[in-house]
Amino acid sequence: MNFFINGFTYTIASAAASGGGGNPVSFNFYTYIVQIMSFLILVWIIKRFAWKPLMNMMEKRRQYIADSLAQAEQERNEAARIKQEYQEDMHRARLEAKSIIEKATQESEQRAAEILDQARRETEKLKLAALAEIEREREKAVSELRLQVVNMSVAVAEKVIKQKLDIQGQEALIDQFIQEVGDRPC
Amino acid sequence: MMHGPIIWHLGNITLNGKTLIMTWIVMAFLIIMSIIASRRLTSGTPGKLQNFLEWIVDFVKSLISDNMDYKKGAPLLSYLLTLIVFIFFSNILGLIPNVFAPLFHWIEFAQLNEILGDVLIASPTADINTTLALATLTVILVLVSGIRYKGIHYFHHFIEPIPVFLPIHLIDFGAKLMTLAFRLFGNIYAGEVLIAAMLMIPGFLVAGTLIPMPVWLGFSVFIGAIQSFVFTVLTIAYISQAVTSDS
Repeated sequence: MNFFINGFTYTIASAAASGGGGNPVSFNFYTYIVQIMSFLILVWIIKRFAWKPLMNMMEKRRQYIADSLAQAEQERNEAARIKQEYQEDMHRARLEAKSIIEKATQESEQRAAEILDQARRETEKLKLAALAEIEREREKAVSELRLQVVNMSVAVAEKVIKQKLDIQGQEALIDQFIQEVGDRPC
Repeated sequence: MMHGPIIWHLGNITLNGKTLIMTWIVMAFLIIMSIIASRRLTSGTPGKLQNFLEWIVDFVKSLISDNMDYKKGAPLLSYLLTLIVFIFFSNILGLIPNVFAPLFHWIEFAQLNEILGDVLIASPTADINTTLALATLTVILVLVSGIRYKGIHYFHHFIEPIPVFLPIHLIDFGAKLMTLAFRLFGNIYAGEVLIAAMLMIPGFLVAGTLIPMPVWLGFSVFIGAIQSFVFTVLTIAYISQAVTSDS
């Protein structure tokens, strides 16, 4: 505090001492020259330390922004191109899928028809075989039956002969009987 | 401040010691600030200091491009930036209370006790020699720019429309120098005189007299900014007159 009061009194004292005298506009050649040189040196130093690097940085940032914008533009174009390509691919894939499905459907239909056809033929064949088998079985049964009838006839004949051996006149009848049995279909 | 200039004697040479010391304080401050700023420069997101500096650069750039073809003014950008910053901080320096004053009371060397032992430190721009030096540099720049872009034809405008007008053109040219120098000097010197006068009000520390001081200090900051702007704009305007072809 003491210092400040000293300072204030100093100012007042010095101001009072000057008493408003003394021309404030006092040209001093050497001061003038030194001020010119000082300012030029200041310009040089600050230009080197502040303005040049600062402007370089601003230029660099401007360049960076310009580059970024250009790059963004390029990437947008690229994205648009890729999107178009993708859409074309999608379209092509869809068409392809459609054609594949169509083809598959056609093939499967054809195949189904073939299978049905084959099955029909197979059944036909089986039916024929079965019919033939039946025929054969029938033949076999007929021949067996015929043999049985013959045996039975022989047995009946034996019995008849044993009982009525005397009945000579009946041979023709027996023959006829046998004939009839043999002709009858079973 | 109110007493006569403090004179340094170096042989036959006399120098205004206080003005030089104050100029060097401003220079040191600006150089230190620029070194601090240049260390943290980035082309990415700028910091606060860099933001401020870039704002100044853009401001002066727009002043140039408003007045002339920017390509012709671009080489002067660094000079003009230094000019506006130097004048502004010079003007402000005179408003700062010198809290270190007591430390210098004992230093007799180069009369530092008288220069820095005052409560108020003077603006370098409150000395006509500083403002005249800056105005001279402006006039030299006008001449150099004019000759650079128009060659010998530049001097033709001194005798237009007829050679009789030569004296008037010469006065006009000298008036540019004088008005630049005295406008700045007068504004800042007057501001400091008023501050000194307020300090002489009896009972300075009484609350009632404390009110005008901050008001005037705030106004002086405004004046300091305006004067640095005016000096720079006029420099740009004079150079643009010199480099712009009349046809």
